Order: sequence, then structure tokens, then C-alpha cells
Amino acid sequence: MKKFLAMVLCLIMALSMLNVAGAEGYDGEIVIWVAENAVDFTAAQVETFKAANPEYANMTVTIEAVGEGDAATNMITDVEGGADIFGFAQDQLARLVAAGALIELSEENAAIVTAENDAGSVSAVTMGDLMWAYPMTSDNGYFLYYDKSVVTDPTSLEAIIADCEAAGKNFYMEINSGWYQTAFFFGAGCTLTYDANDDGELVACNVDYASENGVTAFKAMIELAKSPNFVNGSSATNATNIGAIVDGAWDAAALQEILGENYAATKLPTVAGFQMGGFGGFKMLGVKPQEDEAKLAACDALALYLTSGDVQLARFQDPDIQWGPSNLTAQQNEAVQNNVALAALAAQLEFCVGQGQYPNDYWTLATSLGDRVLADEFDNMTDEELLTVLADFQTSAASYITAQ
Amino acid sequence: MTELEFLKLSKPQKIGYQLLQFFAGLPGRLWGGLKKLGMFFVNLAVKLWDEIKDICLTFKDGDWKTRLSYVVMGFGSAARGQVFRGILFFLFQTVFNMYMIFFGGAYLAKFGTLGTVETTKVNRKTVYGDNSFLILLYGILTIFFIIAAIYTWRVNIKQNKVSEQILKSGKKLKGAKDDIAALADTQFHKTLLSLPMIGIFLFTIVPIIFMVLVAFTNYDYQHQSPAKLFTWVGLENFRTLLSPDSASYGNTFGQVLLWTLIWAFFATFLNYFLGMLVAIMINKKGIKLKKMWRTIFVMTIAIPQFVSLLYVSKMFAADGIINSLLMGWGWIKQPLPFWTNPRWAQVTVIIINIWIGIPYLMLIATGILMNIPADLYESARIDGANAIQTYSRITLPYMLFVTGPYLLTSFIGNINNFNVIFLLTQGKPDVLGNSAGSTDLLITWLYAMTVDNTNYKMAACIGIIVFVVCAVINLVVYNLIPSVKNEEDFQ
Repeated sequence: MKKFLAMVLCLIMALSMLNVAGAEGYDGEIVIWVAENAVDFTAAQVETFKAANPEYANMTVTIEAVGEGDAATNMITDVEGGADIFGFAQDQLARLVAAGALIELSEENAAIVTAENDAGSVSAVTMGDLMWAYPMTSDNGYFLYYDKSVVTDPTSLEAIIADCEAAGKNFYMEINSGWYQTAFFFGAGCTLTYDANDDGELVACNVDYASENGVTAFKAMIELAKSPNFVNGSSATNATNIGAIVDGAWDAAALQEILGENYAATKLPTVAGFQMGGFGGFKMLGVKPQEDEAKLAACDALALYLTSGDVQLARFQDPDIQWGPSNLTAQQNEAVQNNVALAALAAQLEFCVGQGQYPNDYWTLATSLGDRVLADEFDNMTDEELLTVLADFQTSAASYITAQ
Repeated sequence: MTELEFLKLSKPQKIGYQLLQFFAGLPGRLWGGLKKLGMFFVNLAVKLWDEIKDICLTFKDGDWKTRLSYVVMGFGSAARGQVFRGILFFLFQTVFNMYMIFFGGAYLAKFGTLGTVETTKVNRKTVYGDNSFLILLYGILTIFFIIAAIYTWRVNIKQNKVSEQILKSGKKLKGAKDDIAALADTQFHKTLLSLPMIGIFLFTIVPIIFMVLVAFTNYDYQHQSPAKLFTWVGLENFRTLLSPDSASYGNTFGQVLLWTLIWAFFATFLNYFLGMLVAIMINKKGIKLKKMWRTIFVMTIAIPQFVSLLYVSKMFAADGIINSLLMGWGWIKQPLPFWTNPRWAQVTVIIINIWIGIPYLMLIATGILMNIPADLYESARIDGANAIQTYSRITLPYMLFVTGPYLLTSFIGNINNFNVIFLLTQGKPDVLGNSAGSTDLLITWLYAMTVDNTNYKMAACIGIIVFVVCAVINLVVYNLIPSVKNEEDFQ
């Protein structure tokens, strides 16, 4: 019996040694690209990671300041010269996958990410059957900021407009942007999504704008544009006379300054009997395909750590960054809950669709539709005529799929 | 028609006659051009044949040293005492051979397909296959290196022949010292130009050839190296771009090209005439504070376009200062669609460009106007000519004569006027499809394609077509403008 026990012990020891050999660590170089205001924060977090994982203590991590937009463009132009781990916004995902600049998540990491982050952010990093990046923030959506002294009832767009008109203040919303426009269409129950395959090609378009719901949404938009106090725009710093503005969390500080003690934020209002919806947007960390398995393991571990709940919370609390977390636990934190803008966003996200992949041409098409609304082209049209316009829109949107 | 008959014609008839002559002359000129091109190739073939003949004859008539030099470059030179030259030749041959064996050969072998080995994944590790981008790039470099090697080999043979003749005639060959000294003396041009030539070759010629070749591949969103391969597709991209099919690029391309030409026309000629007008007004006797007026106009040049254009673009936006002011005054109810309506945007762009362009033309015109002999105007006045007549008979022809080439270059410049369009509108509003906007010039469309859409193949095609458009306009117009045709008119 003793012999048997000794054998089992030996076996366990051997197995545990194998396990150690499996995580043998990495001591080469890793390059990380993050936005400029997050460089110091990331550097500090990398040190914490190294201290907690001795097998990675000797690797050299270089952190460079590259904004999310530039990071995607640079990676696409030169994959081999790009960073090993980089931050980007979800609208670049398809392009990065098509350029071969992202490696899919391992099954274990994919399971962890799915369990810990909100559903919108998980669907935003998923393309085809695979997950391609680690969600880092869930704060890239829009909601309503308003002046408490002007707007009495922020739950109805008609009431808001009436209040603004009465007070001589403006209502700002960028309706000629494909991003803000969806507040109407998605809110009224329409869909417009593109299916992408594992190569980053868009293979199908699901759209039903040319429908009764579409016409309802379209008419609400046209009606809004008719108000003399409506201004097409979404930049708090450009706006001169704010009664209410549809804007995102990035302008929170600016609006707090402009509106002072009358600063308030909430979810988007209802209009024509439906709750306005829209896109939820996310930032994520991606890992580049690697030719060295040890390096890949190190990158995977580091990216997973940098997007974990604690780090997301710390990132939100860092006064230079303040990105709203996508991690479910972090979202429940008191500090996050008490932030006026993020609370409004969280309330709005319930009605939002995670922004998937859209071809560049979609944004162009939506802008031109919005421009035509602004030019009063549809002001006197009947429902049938509006339906024709939307049918054209739908046909064009469906023609943008990149693969047959 | 004799000259007398021509002079009898009325003005429209004269213009009609000249136009007729121009088009009647076209086939002849075309034929002439083709003949020249044909002669060029015939001459090239003859020269090549002469070279080959000379190479063979040198081998036949040469001694064993010369013959061995055909295989071992520089052997003849070294054996005849020109050790320095010999070593240089041999060194070149060694470097070339090493390059071909260890580096260039592999790339050249794949140049025909641009690679066949796909990138694969082993577990989660990525194993990169052929990199089409690098194969294309190094393939081009290798081809140039081979041409250089053939040329050097030929020089090496010629050297042997010449050396043999010199030695036969009893003279001495030059040593290493003479060779080096010559680089600072009779061969000084080579010393000076070698560095700039290498620079131009690497940073201008190779990229241009690379880009031209990309137009014949399928290098786009779905074929990006290193993860995917791309390959040759022949003229497919040009067919896509030029086919008049409304769903494909053909339609968009036509509209963008048309707007590009309209824009170039207005941007050039409106600026030209308005600038001249301003200059004439400021030059007029009796106008006070001439320097101040000029300074005010020149101020727009002093501020960089990056600053002024971006600012002006914001000024005209829906929530910009112009719309805000107009609405504040109660003149309009809705913001004017300066940047959102295609026609408005096109007109706004042209008008803002006038504001930037006038000062330059004013400065140029001021200088030239001051140069027109005052006695021409004086005699015109005595003959009873009015202001319009003096302008159209004296000022304008003189200006056109002097600034003809400038007009042409600024027309071409405006076809490629990236700054103004990109800073003002980024090509928007986007209504044409295929990521083209109604104020997009070919050049800004090309930019959007490469940067936003990763469509390198079509961008390369457009680049080639922009070149063709510019070249044709340049050649035709340059040969028609009075500055070239009637060179002596104003001397």
C-alpha cells in the first residue's frame, strides 16, 4: 500500500512538474500600444502583472503611445512591424481581422471573457464563430445630457423640444451620422447588421428599414429636423446654446463645465411612442498573431490581465483615463454607479445593440440620408414615398457585402 | 487657304478654321508620334544587335585573359596590371552571386506568381507563408540588380578589348592612382551624382514601379500580406474601373473625373481672372494705400493652409459661425447646407479656393502688368480705344503669353489639389458610392481608398489614370499655347 501511495505521489509530482513546464514563461520583448493618457497606467499594471507572475518577471515590455485609430491603421499597413498587444475601437475589428493583425482567443480565455464581461462587449469582439479581442471598456455609446433649468421632462423628445423652443435653447443631435441615426431606427424596432465570417469579410446584410417601423422612425427624424431649435451636431465644445444634447461619455467633463449645476444626464427619450435605441460601443485589446508559442502565451496572459475586472476598475478610477468598464463586477462598483454620465449610459445600453461590423459605405450612405433630411427634402412626403426612399436605402446597404 | 484669305475671315470663322486645322492635323501628329516611337525601338534593336556582335567578336579576337574575363569578371584587368579595377569587378561579381543565391533568387523565382505558400496555423502559433508584398518589392529590386550586373559585365568586356588595343599600340595602362585621381577630375560628375542617383532610384523610381505593378494585382482588403497572398490579374482592375456599369466603379469614376476637371477649370481660371482684376484695380492710378491693399490680400498666404482651411471649414459647418450668425440675425431659419448638399459643397469649395488663390495671382499679375510698355497703352488711347479694348487687345494677350505655362501647370496642380479639398470637405458629402464623395478629386478618392478601405489595387489604377490625364493635357496644351508657338511675339 505504501508503495502504491509513493507511486501516486511520484506521479502527482511528475504531473505538477509537467504543468510547470507547460507555463515555462517568456523573457523576450513585448510591445504594447495604448492611448497616450493610458501609458503610465498600463506601465504600472504591467509591473503588477510581472510581480504576480514570476515566470514573466524577466520579459521586457515596451509601452508606446498610439491612439486607437492610429493603432488600427498602423497594424493594417504593417502587421509585422506593429505592436504585439494593442488597443482599438470595435469598428476596426473586421479590418484588423482581414489584415491578419489579430489572433483569435484561446478557448479558455474566450470562456473567461464571456463570463466576466457584459453581453454587448462580448458580441462586439466576436466575429464568425471566434472571439478576436479582449473587451476593455463599455462606454462608447450616446445618451441625453440636458440643462435641468430648461428641460422639465427628459423622457419625451416632443416635450424636450417644446421646452427648448420655449427657452430659446437648442437641441443638438448629429442625425446625419450613421452612428446617431440608429437611435431612431433601432429604437423603432428595425435592424441593420452585417454578418462577418472568420476572414473579416462581410457575407450578409440583415436590414428591414423599408417597413412600417422604419417609416415611423424616419418620420420622427424628419419631424425633429423641422424644429427651428434643432441643430445637427454632437460636439459639446462646438455647441453654443445647449438645452439638451445627444452625446457620449467623452464629453461629460466639458458638459459639466458648460451646464454647471444644471448638468444632468439620462437615457434617451421616447419619441412617437417608442424608446430611442442606438449603438453600444466598446474599446478592446487585441493580440497579434505570433510565430513563437511562448510569446503568444505571454501576450495572451498579459492581455487577459490588462482587461480583467480589477484593472478595468482601476482604469476607471484613474483620473487621466476614466474609461467605463465592460466587466460585470466592475460595473457594479459604487464609484461607477455614482457617475452621472455612466449611469445614464448604463440605463441607455439596455435599449442598445452592440455595434458589430459595418462597411465604410454604410456610414457614407447614412450620412447622405441624414443630409437629405437636413435639406428638408422629405418634409412633405407621404408615407408611401418615404417607404420608397427607405427601400432604396435598404437596397444600397445590402449591396455592400464584401464577399459573395 | 492663303494668309490673305485667312485675314479676310470674320473672328468666329477664324477660330473655326483654326480648330479645323488642329483636328485635321491630329492624325498626322499621331502618326508622327508613332513613327518616332517605332524608330526608337528599331534603333534600340540595332544597338542591341551591335552590342551582341561586339561581345562575340571580342571573345573571338581576344587573348585567353579576355576570354577568361567572360566568366571571372575583372580577371583580364587584374592580369594586365590594373589590379584595383580587377578587384572591383570581381567584388561586384561575388556580391551579385551571393545576393542571387542567398536572397534575390528565391524572390525572383516567385515573382511570376507572387507566392504560393499560404499562411497556416499550428495550434495557435502562426506559420507565415509567402509574403506577396515582399516578393513584389524584392523582385523589382532583383530585376534592377540583374540589369546592373549585365551592364557591368558588358563594361568589363569592353575594358578588356580596350586594354588589349592600348597594350598592342605600346602605351601603358592606367593604374589605381590614376583611376582614383580621375574621380576628382575627368570623372568628377560620377562622384557627385552617384549619391543623388541612388537616392532617386530607391525613393522615387522603385516606389513608382511598385505602385504601377500593384495596379495589375489583386492587392486589396481580401488579399493583404502577410496573412494572405495576392497575385497578378492582368488588366482586370482597369476593366472594373472603366466599364460603364452603374453598379461598379465605372460610373463613380466618370463622375469623379468630371468633377475633377470642372474643379480644375474653375479653380484655375476664376483665380486667374479675379486675381488679375484685383491687381489691375490696385495698380490703377489714383488708388490710394496700394501697399495696404496688397498686404491685406497677402495675409492669407502668410497663414498656413492647414490652419486657415480647417478653420474656414468649421466656419461653414451647420453649427459653425456663419450659419449661427445668419440664424441669429433672422435671415435664415435652417442652417445653409454648405457642406451637406453636393452642389452647395462644390460651389463653396470653389469660392473658398478663390479666397486662397487670388493673392498669388495678384502678386504675379502685378509684376507682369508693370512690365507692359506704357507706350502701348498710350497709343491705344490716342487711337480712341476704350478700357475693354485695351484690356482685351493689350493686357490679356500679354498676360496670357507670359503666364501661359504657369496657367498650364496650375491647371495640372489643381487636378491634384489634395490640400484644399481634403482640409475643407474630405471629399464629402459622400453620395457617389465606392467611398467617393461629390467633392472628391481623383487624388482624394485615391487617398480614401488606400487609407480607409485598404483597396490598393484600385488606388494604383487611379494613380496611373491621373498620370495619363495630366500627361495628355500637358502635352496637348503645351504645344498649343502662344508662349511656345509664337515665341517671338513679345520680344
